[in-house]
Amino acid sequence: MLCKNPPIINDFYKCMTEQLSRRVLIASSHPLFGQGLHRLLQERRQAGVEVVGMVATVDEALAALDQLHPDLIIVDYDDQALNRDEFLARFVEGESKLRVVLLSLHSPQEAIVYDRRTLAASQIDNWLEEWTYLDETQKPLIKQGDEIPKVENRRRSVMKKYIHIVVAAVLVVIVAAGLIFWLENGGTAALLPEAASAQAEPIDQLFGLEFKVIAFLFALIVVMMVYSMVVFRRKKGDLTDAEHIEGNTKLEITWTAIPLAAVLFFAFLGGQSLAETLRADPQPEIVNVIGQKWQWSFEYPVDSVAVDKIASPVMYMPVDKQSILYLSSRDIIHSFWVPEFRVKQDALPGGENMVRTLRVTPTKEGTYYLRCAELCGQNHTNMIAEVRVVSQSEFDAWLTGEVAKLSDPVAIGQNVYENNCKACHTIDGSKGVGPSWLGLYGREETLTDGTTVVVDEAYIIESIINTNAKIVAGYPAGVMPQNYGEVLTEEQINGVIEYIRTLVP
Amino acid sequence: MNEQKKGGFFSIGLVKGILGYVVGMVVGLALVTVLRMILGLPATTPWDPQAKTFFFVEGAWVAGALLGTIFFILSVGVASDWFKWMRGVETPSHPQDAFEHGAKRYLSASFDHKVIGVQYGFTSLVVFMLAGFFALIFRTELAAPGMQYLNLDQYNTMFTLHGIVMIVAILLGVGAISNYLVPLMIGANDMAFPRLNAFAFWINVPAAVTLLSSILLGGLETGWTGYPPLSQTSPSLGMSMFFWGVYFAGMSSILGSLNVITTTIRMRAKGMGYFRMPILVWTALATAMIGLTATQLIGLSFQMVSFERLFGMTFFHLEGNPILFQHLFWFYSHPAVYVFVLVGLGTISELLPVFARKPLFGYKWVALSAFGIALVGFLVWAHHMFTSGMESYLRVPFMYSTLLVAVPTGIKFFSWVGTLWGGKLSFETPSLFVLGAISIFLLGGLSGPPNGTVSTDLHLQDTYWIVGHFHATMFGGFVFPFFAALYYWFPKVSGRMYNEKLGKLHFFLMLPAFYVQSLGQMQVGLLGMRRRIADYDPALAPDIQLTQLLITIAAFVIGLSVLIAVVNFVVSAARGKVAVANPWRSRSPEFMLPSPIPVHNYGDHPFEVIGEPYDYGLAGSAYVSIDPERAPKREEPPAVSATAPAATD
Repeated sequence: MLCKNPPIINDFYKCMTEQLSRRVLIASSHPLFGQGLHRLLQERRQAGVEVVGMVATVDEALAALDQLHPDLIIVDYDDQALNRDEFLARFVEGESKLRVVLLSLHSPQEAIVYDRRTLAASQIDNWLEEWTYLDETQKPLIKQGDEIPKVENRRRSVMKKYIHIVVAAVLVVIVAAGLIFWLENGGTAALLPEAASAQAEPIDQLFGLEFKVIAFLFALIVVMMVYSMVVFRRKKGDLTDAEHIEGNTKLEITWTAIPLAAVLFFAFLGGQSLAETLRADPQPEIVNVIGQKWQWSFEYPVDSVAVDKIASPVMYMPVDKQSILYLSSRDIIHSFWVPEFRVKQDALPGGENMVRTLRVTPTKEGTYYLRCAELCGQNHTNMIAEVRVVSQSEFDAWLTGEVAKLSDPVAIGQNVYENNCKACHTIDGSKGVGPSWLGLYGREETLTDGTTVVVDEAYIIESIINTNAKIVAGYPAGVMPQNYGEVLTEEQINGVIEYIRTLVP
Repeated sequence: MNEQKKGGFFSIGLVKGILGYVVGMVVGLALVTVLRMILGLPATTPWDPQAKTFFFVEGAWVAGALLGTIFFILSVGVASDWFKWMRGVETPSHPQDAFEHGAKRYLSASFDHKVIGVQYGFTSLVVFMLAGFFALIFRTELAAPGMQYLNLDQYNTMFTLHGIVMIVAILLGVGAISNYLVPLMIGANDMAFPRLNAFAFWINVPAAVTLLSSILLGGLETGWTGYPPLSQTSPSLGMSMFFWGVYFAGMSSILGSLNVITTTIRMRAKGMGYFRMPILVWTALATAMIGLTATQLIGLSFQMVSFERLFGMTFFHLEGNPILFQHLFWFYSHPAVYVFVLVGLGTISELLPVFARKPLFGYKWVALSAFGIALVGFLVWAHHMFTSGMESYLRVPFMYSTLLVAVPTGIKFFSWVGTLWGGKLSFETPSLFVLGAISIFLLGGLSGPPNGTVSTDLHLQDTYWIVGHFHATMFGGFVFPFFAALYYWFPKVSGRMYNEKLGKLHFFLMLPAFYVQSLGQMQVGLLGMRRRIADYDPALAPDIQLTQLLITIAAFVIGLSVLIAVVNFVVSAARGKVAVANPWRSRSPEFMLPSPIPVHNYGDHPFEVIGEPYDYGLAGSAYVSIDPERAPKREEPPAVSATAPAATD
């Protein structure tokens, strides 16, 4: 209806001339009101007003809307039969940009123009004269009284608009291209740690793509913002407002639809690379990874007459072979993460039902560090274990050597210590979360209830199985895992006692 | 209890409340201790902070905190009208008049939404600085590798408190904006439930006291997330204080949200259709809907862990399941993120048109995008749990829903750029903060999709990348817009102008410092630094040492800039230049009133919406009329004046 953004400038003027005659619809059930107003408006014909119809109800007005296409509706404010609010709701708050005037005959002062402008009552007369021109794109043209005023100016301002957009777009491309160039040439690699697993590959690929999209979007928004701030900024002393642009539905739909498609695409890629990281190789190396406050232990099942598994405080992995990790925890939630492998999985307490798996195929020999990624209380910071990725032959040799070691009770005890106890109990006499084991055997300890006890076999066994029964003064209760009675075999507990016996200062 | 006379120190509501808290604490401790004696249970433990025992048993301290909170509320006087109603006693229907005027009213109970708004804002700033102070303590430790002056327990306590206290500060800040502005912007003279409003504010004070008491009762080691079984097995008594402090802060959120929703739905003035409301009201409404419906879940989950600790129930360990807690927790705590940022984003949308002198680009799209974000925000909680060990297949649908958040968020960004484009922008302090907010929220928003995509999140989960990401969203979505709002409405609240030079100094210190901090955090996180660790991973130290130092310096610069802002506010409120009614040439209705705003807002002015909120550049147009001349005389009184008093001062 309005002559906004026509494709060709000449069409714009054609459109303007046609619309100079504005169509008015009068809504009143009172015949005098309508007829009088009709006559008044007809007198103003030179201003291009044409009364296209009169209606008495909202429904009639709605019907007239479709048939008559009025530009303005004048509503009798005093007419009780007409629901003013309904008019307002339908014609002002709705999508269409119709103007509605409410006129009252009670007093000449009372007329309200519901077209988003405030006008003093005395201005109403002028408003009736001028309302046809009030559309901001048309006003200056008509005011000139000139058939083709300022064509050059308008063309220039349209040109200028496009030049701004073109310049800003070029800047966006330059900045985005610069960032993406940096990412391509070492940027992405510098942002991520070394990749040392097969699972890292799809993940890093996706990272690379994500970084580029981020770079583009950052450039797009920031360049447009900074351009606006610099180029269009308010000049000193300028108190006028900027151009009245309310929005653009096509643009809004565009920048809803494109991101929607983009995120769906990325989610699809994310699903694919997740599937890659979960892909199972046949016959992987099995490792039970057990977390507890604040250390890791790794169990490897072995075919041996003496033992069915060996435990190690250091994780060994054969290179280029998938290891399947069965993650569990003795106490609270921990999380397995070697940054170079990229993948991460929490280790949960709660027994067999809560065991979770993670597949890792190391691709580079070397030493890495497993870092607990889930906050696990006081000493979380230091819950780190070494991960050695070695050749298959080295791995086999290490495993055989470990099995051979497991005949001496002291060695068994030391193994238990390193896999279970060392995070809290030192063997050099310094104070840890729990009492040090150095010189522990035979020592007299004061307990929290004030009694004393001499550390002997019975006390050690009780402290392992029923951890909170007798707490040494100065140490908090409830910290030590409660399930060692089930976790450790009798042989292992005996080993621990033998091992503690050897720790004399 | 309804103090009307000028009294001494002990008539100040805050003082009465604190005394009440102490009395309640003593009663609670005694009650449980005596009860345990009668039952023949061990009633007391040795006082030994090392072993984390503090004479009374944990249940006694919890009972003390609960009774302390109740006694606080009773003594501060916000519940007294309710008790009067129960007894059939009438109370003044417009109790604002009954309260003190001047600065002192801010320290006592008041039912005036503007006073409550200022109380929220002031408390928010205090708590915000406290939480920032905690951050500076542990950031100093992180400036260099190795442990320097904190031990592990202190470090864990500090970062846990930094997180949770910051969250309380943000909730209070959101409360400040909604409470002060929503009634003014919709043409109401107060909130729908003034007494509930006061209650919802004041409960935050004992909540904060309870929360902070955890420092003295053994500290915290769980982070603000408080995951069991860690939080259930933690030997520290502070854990329980943490749970119940958050519980009551959550109660404030729920009741405050209820009030905002009712006010917005029921108390809009004549002509204030939903699509004519200022955009800030839209976001406050969306925020309140989240707050009302989701907050219960965090209260419930924390209550359950507390019951595990106190009564030995087993919701999340033994036959229970620790993942259940994470679902309950994040079902609130993810939508909560949108509680934190939506009002900030609304502030950006609200202020941009004023400073660009241009209509908000695509008003309806921006308004509905707030609801879009709020709605989608409910469907994404499990993206915090991609590595948690929940059902593996669930990760994919949650990835889709999470990435969908980008769509309504994108609409906001594009609309802001559309508003800026061609706008005649000026650069007063609030304008600068709005622009800074957009750029930082952009950083936060763009660093989101890598976390939302499962496979890349396997690397990023629980690293400093996440820390950088959410600090960017919080600074862009809340902190910067909050400061923009404080500067922008400062003249409206205080009647005086802030110091523009100090305001700009604040901005130009905080913005670059924040970029250094947030980008630095993202960098070290990508390289493999975990969250919540007291010392760097030794292997990483050479790569990230410089970045760590820079982050710490940046944190101190941010701290300094906030101090400058506070000094600015305090001094300007007393001695600033007297403000005009509408220093920003805003169309918003609150700027039609004198500064500071009179007690009854619009009083019996006929408030009527006659245009659109953001028609800058449309000559002669206006949003709202409160001019009695214009009001048709035989018109039935507008809805608002039904609640206005017959005669105002």
